Amino acid sequence: MITAFIHKFSSPKSFVILTEKLYPFFIIAGVSMLILGWTWGLLFAPQDAVQGNSYRIIFLHVPSVIFAELIYFFMAVCALMHLVWRVKLAAYLIKSAAPIGAMITFIGLFSGSIWGIPTWGTWWQWDARITSTLILFIMYLGILTLHASFSNLEKADRLMSILVVIGVVNIPLIKKSVDWWSTLHQPASISVSGSSSIDPSMLYPLLISVIGLGFTLISLGILSSRSYILSREKNKKWVSERV
Amino acid sequence: MFNSTFNNFNEILDMGGHGIYVWSVYLIGISIIAISFLIAKKRIKEEHKKIKLKNASS
Repeated sequence: MITAFIHKFSSPKSFVILTEKLYPFFIIAGVSMLILGWTWGLLFAPQDAVQGNSYRIIFLHVPSVIFAELIYFFMAVCALMHLVWRVKLAAYLIKSAAPIGAMITFIGLFSGSIWGIPTWGTWWQWDARITSTLILFIMYLGILTLHASFSNLEKADRLMSILVVIGVVNIPLIKKSVDWWSTLHQPASISVSGSSSIDPSMLYPLLISVIGLGFTLISLGILSSRSYILSREKNKKWVSERV
Repeated sequence: MFNSTFNNFNEILDMGGHGIYVWSVYLIGISIIAISFLIAKKRIKEEHKKIKLKNASS
């Protein structure tokens, strides 16, 4: 029954039709919230007492690293769906999400490195948080390379899914690295379950930036998955009819 | 909360000496995201073109 339910709602055709309708909402909401969050954070939030204005990188850096991890987690769920229930849409979504994950992880690493120059006096340190995030970036590239190295795409989907599931062990490592090891990187300033150590005047624009980047990346994911689904399903009748 | 921290445009650009770090991060970050959108849209167009050619030939 579960299998029948999953297969009914996970057809590439249904996915393309649904996401085409949702795309305008996500792109408008995402860009608007990013403009609001970043304008508030960059121009109106107060200066940090210790870091001065360099802390304003937080409004891009924190949302980026949050989604670097969340995208991988999403890929791991899709990988399990593909391996257990043979849902082909799940494999398509992994392949479409991986470049976006790599891109946003790069932005997270890059923004963190630049932020490190005025605050730590160095752009790079081999500490647990930064190194585990670099491993995440390499994982994304590895997943894409593995998939590209097979001409048999079904086999590539399966092996890519296995690699994604293996690599998910890195996600809790990134999250807990600042608690388990002594790192140059500071512990988390915002928390979903507990209280945040950041002042509301900085927290609100940060939360808006997080939601805005989330919607923007979902809309990018919709575009990316649409092009990949079209390329994989080009011989299907429904694709010819839609195009 | 909504009073600007800065008095003029030069202060916004300079950000107390940290402007080069802050603005370069946002400039490069936004550019990468925008380019990703352009690439994704271009790929959809290319796929549509391929499928239309295939439909026309068959």
